[in-house]
Amino acid sequence: MLRPEPQIQVVTNTVKTTVPIVAHPKQVQLNDVKIYVVSKENYDEFVKDFEAKNGSDAYIAISVKDYENLSLNFAELRRYIEQQKQIIVYYENAVKPEEEQPSD
Amino acid sequence: MFSSIRIALILVVLAGAGGAFMYVKNLQANLETARANVAKMEVALATSEQSLALERSETKRLGELNTQLSSDLQRAEQYGDELRATLNKHNLTHLANKKPGLIQQRMQDATNKLWDDLESITAPNNGVLDAQTGTTDTSSN
Repeated sequence: MLRPEPQIQVVTNTVKTTVPIVAHPKQVQLNDVKIYVVSKENYDEFVKDFEAKNGSDAYIAISVKDYENLSLNFAELRRYIEQQKQIIVYYENAVKPEEEQPSD
Repeated sequence: MFSSIRIALILVVLAGAGGAFMYVKNLQANLETARANVAKMEVALATSEQSLALERSETKRLGELNTQLSSDLQRAEQYGDELRATLNKHNLTHLANKKPGLIQQRMQDATNKLWDDLESITAPNNGVLDAQTGTTDTSSN
């Protein structure tokens, strides 16, 4: 007696996770910062102008080297923000449904 | 006796024919099942091929995105690299001593530009800032 042919069951089940893309945070609002460069050449003029403008002769001084370090620190922060944003954009593009992919 | 043998022979023939009939019926049923299985296998194969094609296109797309990301991440290093090069190239202390007014203006401009750049790159609908905007001013901030 022949064995009956086994029945094949084909079940296709595609599950795609949908990750909602949340809004980005609002952009930073930065305040202006006035910089004074002071040397022996313009010190007296600086004190006079500064006091006239700010009503006080107290100020915070920073050396040229520390100013350079401050600049490099800001450059690092800027790099980090940019790269973080690029990574977020990468993930947003990666999880976008196919029909929403930007066309080249 | 002769007729008994004949009857027995007829019964054997009938039983054989019945068995053969059942065998053929079973064979036909198996054939139908096999045909249905082949059809299902073809559908499964087509689905697998579609899945494979989708997987390939996804891998390609993600590879392209990854390449783009690497390039963008590298580009973000440009501003800092330029700034370091500029600071190494110029003696800012000497320049500040000799021409404080000029250096002050350049520092102020560079600082204002940095604030603008930071506001720009954090804008929600704006892409990442083009690293080409990195300034080469001697007083880059």
